[in-house]
Amino acid sequence: MTEAQAGDTRVDWEGALVQRARAGDTRAFERLYREHAGKVYGLCLRMTRDAQLAEDCTQDTFINAWRALAGFETRSSLSTWLHRIAVNVSLAKRRKSSPVEPAPEEGEDVAGEWTLETPVEVHEIETAIGALPDGARDALVLHALYGYSHGEAAQMLGIAEGTCKAQLHRARKLLRERLGMEVN
Amino acid sequence: MTRHHDPDARTRVRSLGELPQAIEPQRDLWPGIEARLDEIEAKAPLATAGQTIRRRNSARLRWLAAAAMIASVAVGVWIGRSLLPLAGAVPGVHSPASAASDVSAATGAPTALDAAYVADPRYERQRAELLRSLQTRLASLPPASRAKVLASLETIHQAKEDLERALGKDPGNALLQELLINTYQDEMRVLTDVREASDSGKGI
Repeated sequence: MTEAQAGDTRVDWEGALVQRARAGDTRAFERLYREHAGKVYGLCLRMTRDAQLAEDCTQDTFINAWRALAGFETRSSLSTWLHRIAVNVSLAKRRKSSPVEPAPEEGEDVAGEWTLETPVEVHEIETAIGALPDGARDALVLHALYGYSHGEAAQMLGIAEGTCKAQLHRARKLLRERLGMEVN
Repeated sequence: MTRHHDPDARTRVRSLGELPQAIEPQRDLWPGIEARLDEIEAKAPLATAGQTIRRRNSARLRWLAAAAMIASVAVGVWIGRSLLPLAGAVPGVHSPASAASDVSAATGAPTALDAAYVADPRYERQRAELLRSLQTRLASLPPASRAKVLASLETIHQAKEDLERALGKDPGNALLQELLINTYQDEMRVLTDVREASDSGKGI
C-alpha cells in the first residue's frame, strides 16, 4: 500500500467514525478525540500559554464539536474544522482573562518557509514563540506551524487578511530580535 | 508557561514548520469530555426521544439513512457486536465466522477477531431466517428498491473484503476489527429493513 493509499484509507476510517458519532456513538467520538487531541491541545497551548487553560479549551473544543457534528461536512477536513473550533474557544477564553491588544496596521506581505539561519533547539524556539504578543503569536502558529494560508488563518482569527500579514511581519521581526538570527 | 515537550525536545529544527503540531496533554482529557457529553444527552431527552421515535416509525427513513451512510463511506457501516456464522451463501452476504477464519488463515494464527464472536443462538436464527427469505422478499420489492438493496449489499461486501484484506496485514488492529464487525451489523440492518419494507408493502 502506498503512502497516498494509506492516507485515503485513514480518511475513510475517519469518515466512518464521524458518521457513527453523529448517530450518538460516543465510542466513535472518543476515537476521533484520540486521533486529534494532540494537535488540538498543541494549538490551544500555544494560543493560551497556559496548560490548565489549554486543557479546558481542548475539552470545550470537543464538546462543541459533538454538539455541532450534524453540521460538519464530511467532505471537508475534520482536522481543520476542529482547529477552527479550538481557535474560537481559545480566543474567547483568553479575552476573559486578558484585554485584547490593538491590532497593527495592515502590513507587507510575509511569505516564505520561516526557516532559521542556523538550527535552533525546539525548546528555545517554542519559548521565543511563547513570548510573542498574542496577535502575532496566533498568526504565526496558524500559518507557520499549522500550515494555514494567510486567508485561512485570518478567517479563523476573525481578522482581515492584511492584519494577519502585519501580525506575521511583526512576529518575524520579534523572533529575529529574540533569537538573534535571520528568520526567512 | 507550562510546557511538557517530548523527551527529544532538544532536537534542533531549521524551520518553524518542523516543530511538532501535536503536544500531548499531561492527563487524559477524555473522561471529563465524556462526563459532559452525558450531561448534554441527559438535558436533551425530548430531542433524543423524538429522534428515536422517528427512527422507529419509519423503516423507509432508516433505510435511506443506512443507504446514504453506506454510499458515502465505503468501509463504514455499522451495528452491534455478537454476530454469528451462517451456513449458506447469498451473493454479497458472507458470514462473520468465515471472515474471521479467512483472517486466521491469512495470518496462520487465531486473531482477536475470533475471540470477538460470541455465540448468540437468537441472533444466528434471526440472520438465518432473513437470509433464507431474502430472495423472496427482494422479488416483492419494486425493481428500483431491489436494485438499491443489491447495490448496498455489494457495497457492504466490498467493505468486508477491504477490511479483511487490511486485517490480514494487521490482524491486531482493534479499529479494523470493530469496523468489520460493524459491517456485518450493517448487513443485518439492511436485511431487517428489507423484511420490514416487504412486510409493509411500501417498498424502500
